[in-house]
Amino acid sequence: MSQQELPPPPPTSLPSEPEFPRHRTRYNRPRRYFSRWGLAFGVVIGILAGLGYAWLLAPLEEFDTEPYQLRLADKNHYAVAIILEYQQGGDLGLAVNKLVQLRLGEDPIQAVANIACDLASTGYVDSTSGLNALRAMKTFYQLQGRSGCADLLVPDVDAADSQIVEVVVPTNTPTIPPPPSKTPTPDIGPVTAEPTVRVAPTVVAQRDFEGRIANTFCDTTFPAVIEVFVVTFNGDGIAGEQVRVRWEGGDSTFVTGLKLDRGESYADFQMENGVGYTIDMPGLSDPIGTPLVAEQCFTENGDESIKSYRVVFRQIG
Amino acid sequence: MKRFFTSLIIGLVLGVLVGLYFGWVQFPVEYVDSTMGDLDRSYRDEYTVMIAASYQFDNDGLGAVERLRRLGVDNVPEYVQSTTERFITNSRDLNDIRLLVNLSNGLGRLTPIMEPFLDLTGGGS
Repeated sequence: MSQQELPPPPPTSLPSEPEFPRHRTRYNRPRRYFSRWGLAFGVVIGILAGLGYAWLLAPLEEFDTEPYQLRLADKNHYAVAIILEYQQGGDLGLAVNKLVQLRLGEDPIQAVANIACDLASTGYVDSTSGLNALRAMKTFYQLQGRSGCADLLVPDVDAADSQIVEVVVPTNTPTIPPPPSKTPTPDIGPVTAEPTVRVAPTVVAQRDFEGRIANTFCDTTFPAVIEVFVVTFNGDGIAGEQVRVRWEGGDSTFVTGLKLDRGESYADFQMENGVGYTIDMPGLSDPIGTPLVAEQCFTENGDESIKSYRVVFRQIG
Repeated sequence: MKRFFTSLIIGLVLGVLVGLYFGWVQFPVEYVDSTMGDLDRSYRDEYTVMIAASYQFDNDGLGAVERLRRLGVDNVPEYVQSTTERFITNSRDLNDIRLLVNLSNGLGRLTPIMEPFLDLTGGGS
């Protein structure tokens, strides 16, 4: 019997890793502590649930409500208040800023015209205060060259206030008509006809333009300036119109449209501090009733300056 | 499976927190169609001053009361008085105070604290 071969001795250590790299697969990747899919599903569902609870089930109590969040009717009344304040203070910039904050649309001034139109079609116009508010709105948007149905529905102040009502008071003692004369009419003979003199009826002076102080402003870069705009009834600028400024001891006439960068309707006049001025369009408008006085004012920053005016002459009819 | 559900629950908690943050803080519900009475106090004050300015212009006390009633206040003169006194106490804009004092005076609510601000050149009766 041949000598039996002994098996080889066991290795002292495990065989080393093969030289080539092994691809990681889901079977040999180390196991994560969290399931990615589970976490993702949970987050998505949680966000939806959280938003649903915060928006639908337990929304925040209403606070910090701004005017633009008002319902339409209240928004309209807020706009009315803005115009009434403008009527008192004459600060156009402030009024426009507030109207913009009200988010009435792209053209807040035309929106005022639309609101006036809506209100003029309702019972709002029946009260005196409502009518006055609509007139203020009408003046506001017309001066800015806008129009609306309130132009027709709301009568002008002048037209409404200048109606002359004749009141005939009956006297207690009625006048007795005189008895017919018994004197025979003498025979005068042939009457020579005299040439008829025709008298033309007197025509009431017509104004072509109506001027108003649109607003005043206080600016250190433009102190003591009268800015004049001459526009058509529809608000289009008119160039070449003469505007006259008069003061004690002098006057000056200037023409619109010479500063084209400000528009063809524009002209301006530099005032002197402390002097009062009246302004009109010679032969075309009455002077503005309120004198324009170049007086001291303070800007929003507290800087001292001299008050400036913005005047609009609008074509009538 | 246990690992999946544990992750799902943790994700839910995180998601709910994020959702609540967005729903309450970042993008809270924005109310529309509110009434005048819901206005923030600063805007109620602004509206009141605007009406006081209109009163200064036209002396229309009835109109001013009607307009302020839209704020949902029952007693308009009392509301104007308290607003005016608050303005004076908080040293708000002097012009606003004068307008409010004039309106308060017109509504028969002139109190001693208002008297120094009464604009004698303005309207009011």
